[in-house]
Amino acid sequence: MLVRLARIEWATIISTIALVAFGVLMLSTTAEPDSTGLENQAVQKAVLGAVGLAFAFAMAQVDYRVLHGLAGPVFLLGVLALILVLLVGDFDLGARRWFELGPIVIQPSEFMKLAAIVAFAKYLSDRSDSTRSLRTVMVGLGLMLIPASLVFLQPDLGTALIFSAIWMAMVFVAGARWWHLLTPIVIALAAFPFAWFFAQDYMRQRFVTFLDPGSDPLGAGYNVLQARISIGSGGWFGHGLGQGSQSQLEFLRVRDTDFIFAMLGEQLGLAGTMGLLAFFTLLIVQALVIGLRARDMFGRLLAIGIAAMLFSQSFVNIGMNVGLMPVTGITLPLVSLGKNSLLVTLLSVGILLSIHSHRGAAPFRQQSMHVVRGSLPVAGSRGGLGR
Amino acid sequence: MEAHSRPTARTGAGQRRISGTRRALLLGGAALAGNAALAGRLWQLQVVESDTYREQAAHNRARTRPIQPLRGLIYDRNREPLVANAPVFSVWLAPADLPPEREGPAMANLAVLTGERLEDLRFKLSQARLDPDTPARLARAVPRESALTIEERRQDLPGISVRTSTRREYAHGDVLGHILGFTGPIPAEEVEAYRQQGVRFDEDIGLAGIERSLQTRLRGRDGEQRLETDAFGRALHELSFTPPQVGQHAVLTIAVNEQQAIREILARHLALRERGAGAVVVLRPDSGDIVAMVSLPDYDSNIFTRGASSESFALLVSDPRRPLINHAISGLYPPGSTYKVIAASGALEAGVVLPQSKIHCDGRLILPSGWAFDDWLPQGHGFVDLQRAIAESCNIYFYNVSGGNPYTQLQGLGNRRLAEFERSFGFGERTGIDLPGEASGLVPTSEWKNRNLQQPWVTGDTYHAAIGQGLVQVTPLQIASMYAAIGNGGRVMRPRLVDRLLDQHGKVAERIPPRVRSILPVSDANLRLLQAGLYRAVNEPQGTGPRARSSHTVVAGKTGTAEYSGARDAEGRLPSHAWFAGYAPAEQPEYGFAVLVRDGGEGSFAAAPIARDIVDYLMTGDMPPLPQERPDFISPDHRL
Repeated sequence: MLVRLARIEWATIISTIALVAFGVLMLSTTAEPDSTGLENQAVQKAVLGAVGLAFAFAMAQVDYRVLHGLAGPVFLLGVLALILVLLVGDFDLGARRWFELGPIVIQPSEFMKLAAIVAFAKYLSDRSDSTRSLRTVMVGLGLMLIPASLVFLQPDLGTALIFSAIWMAMVFVAGARWWHLLTPIVIALAAFPFAWFFAQDYMRQRFVTFLDPGSDPLGAGYNVLQARISIGSGGWFGHGLGQGSQSQLEFLRVRDTDFIFAMLGEQLGLAGTMGLLAFFTLLIVQALVIGLRARDMFGRLLAIGIAAMLFSQSFVNIGMNVGLMPVTGITLPLVSLGKNSLLVTLLSVGILLSIHSHRGAAPFRQQSMHVVRGSLPVAGSRGGLGR
Repeated sequence: MEAHSRPTARTGAGQRRISGTRRALLLGGAALAGNAALAGRLWQLQVVESDTYREQAAHNRARTRPIQPLRGLIYDRNREPLVANAPVFSVWLAPADLPPEREGPAMANLAVLTGERLEDLRFKLSQARLDPDTPARLARAVPRESALTIEERRQDLPGISVRTSTRREYAHGDVLGHILGFTGPIPAEEVEAYRQQGVRFDEDIGLAGIERSLQTRLRGRDGEQRLETDAFGRALHELSFTPPQVGQHAVLTIAVNEQQAIREILARHLALRERGAGAVVVLRPDSGDIVAMVSLPDYDSNIFTRGASSESFALLVSDPRRPLINHAISGLYPPGSTYKVIAASGALEAGVVLPQSKIHCDGRLILPSGWAFDDWLPQGHGFVDLQRAIAESCNIYFYNVSGGNPYTQLQGLGNRRLAEFERSFGFGERTGIDLPGEASGLVPTSEWKNRNLQQPWVTGDTYHAAIGQGLVQVTPLQIASMYAAIGNGGRVMRPRLVDRLLDQHGKVAERIPPRVRSILPVSDANLRLLQAGLYRAVNEPQGTGPRARSSHTVVAGKTGTAEYSGARDAEGRLPSHAWFAGYAPAEQPEYGFAVLVRDGGEGSFAAAPIARDIVDYLMTGDMPPLPQERPDFISPDHRL
């Protein structure tokens, strides 16, 4: 049994390292040839990855339940940062998403994802007896809409949608009624024509491009088409690292972030893309398994939220690369260039490790509140698996 | 709905059950399904459709640029170059570098700077956009100052640059306009047709003369440069280079000095009359080689490539003598008496008359219908045989042998057989000279008249046809070709203007050999009779062409005075074109020729002296004295 559990933890770590390694490998082929040391993006990523992973290991030693107490302040801090970035953030690439503090660029929406997961987990686990009530779901929806709408205003529709995906998964697992969940979806679909009317041009354009990338091959559909050509031309084993005309001659744009997967497809072929997809699947399954084995609802919901974040982002990004999803500007977790995203994802992995290592720990102080407040019958011990 | 509330999971510590296990498993299943869908899509892209995308990637990376060849040159018989490719400043556009929103002002600026018309620039831009990766020429031969200004104002003119290209410069454009023609931009309505032949819209093509008839030979074949370019169109390096194949060079049969002198001779004679116009064709009887071909007034080829002032264009276009048309091959005229040799040979061959048969000419033939047909000599020529009929150009004789005579019961040749003979001498169809725009002329028949004029053919029509009047229409080249054939013993040659084509190293790529179009259906004996008649026309006192007599050689030939419908003169006579056609030396002809003075009056006065001067020049190489200085000079105002 120990072996099996150890395998879970190691599989999580190995898939994380593997995904970061894929990113480092890809970035090393596009880095400026004369950049050395820390100027090199690939080196930066490797160093940050190593530091983040070490931090994740350290987090594994700390009981994740400290987050229960921090959830409120962290959430408020995140919302404040989002408001601040809208007011005084740096305007770049047509959006206000970043703070530039010297060489360090901070993207609050990335951290907000994790803060929201923690906050939702606390909110839902505290109300595990009333998750079937419409009130709980509606208040929770409001909780989610605060960061989502702030991110939407940046504008960053993609990340806003990730918030709702995370929320949906967590509320679903927390036990909301089916129709409480389905109603907003139905309403959203019904509202689509109105949303279309009020949508910003870039959103409409992206949607049209998604439906038919060939409609304007040099304009909006360019990236989608070039990504598809890159991936397709990779074949079974790709053109080799640093090879491939699509990425090397920059037909493939935003190849370090949004379309890094396409570059991988061109250079390493089906072998590379399937490998990457396998590691993502493994990581997501690990997160779910850790959630299933969590010692309490808070831990389970945290893990579910992290799994939902990893899956929704990777699915939307890869889907966009292969032309199954519209272009949303969602990066590929752990693999893409973004340092904020890498750090947040590694923190999430740290939380997963903590949930895993504390699945058999003694009840946390606050945990007693749950037990008291909760209506669930306390199950008798059925052969503890303590370490 | 039961599932989620039923505690199913056992926590690691086993203290209690927590909810949501089944739903979490459901989510896991959904995630696996989603990733499986991605895997399926990747299989489709990277395995099933991989070849298509590989092709697209290759297409992305390589750009092909056509490299235009230099246009071939044109030489005269003595290898003197008649045209050069002179370097000029041209304005080029890289279509991809001109953002559509800046098109408007850029084109407006360019129109001012180059003097091109705005709509022309817009048309070229729209064409250039069809192939955004290939630079396109918007304007050629812009003045140096404009070129400098364009370079200085590059920020206002994105994608536009000045480069050198070439322009045709004609060494003797002033005397060779009708022969060389000129090049120019493709007319908008023909752009598509040329594109299908692989000629780009911004090229210059031959629009007239040799430049046009040899367009495909002179143009050469495009080279090709394949470049590896990045996504921004920057060329990184060359993948392959196929050099263009320089166009072939043409060597003509004419010599520029002879052309120049013969043009000058015609010009001097025409200068004596108001608004003089005329044409001369001189060719070699044995080969059909064109020695000189002049149509006056003419134009200088260079004004089309240099960009002439609008006034000089307007003058060329508005002149009623139509100087832009090469009348030597495209002008249609009644041949007048130069045509009589056809009826003569036909009558001899068909046995209508014997060589020595005499027909009485009293100056007029009145048909029973009441129509009267006159001779040019009111008192008539008396009894004339064939040779005298030719020499003295007796109309009555040729009326008799062609349409018959109801009073003497003479059966004439008849319209059908006369028309056959006309065609066998090369009339009614193009000679096939290497020039565009040649006219075929008209051999009238009863069928033709019925069909086109809805009138029956009458004997008078045959009479008129026999003396080259009425419905007959010919070009000066056809007449020259006929006389060359009579002189060379009966072979009608295809007139030849291009002798050979050279490749880029100057080696002969193709010889264009002389070609016999047809053999005259005239026996040697009868041909000698015709030749004798033509000799006597010039060299005997009673002949009509004594003014063609040369002091350096013996000329044989025939005058023609071809009336055409126009305003009658004071004595009630129709205006007429003056002809003289023949060959020299009479014994062993080296030259066959036709001279036409439009509205020149009598052939013997207006055209014959020109022929004499030309023959004198060709025989001696010296320019003859001015016509006014000749002892036999007769003012063109003179009317017989």
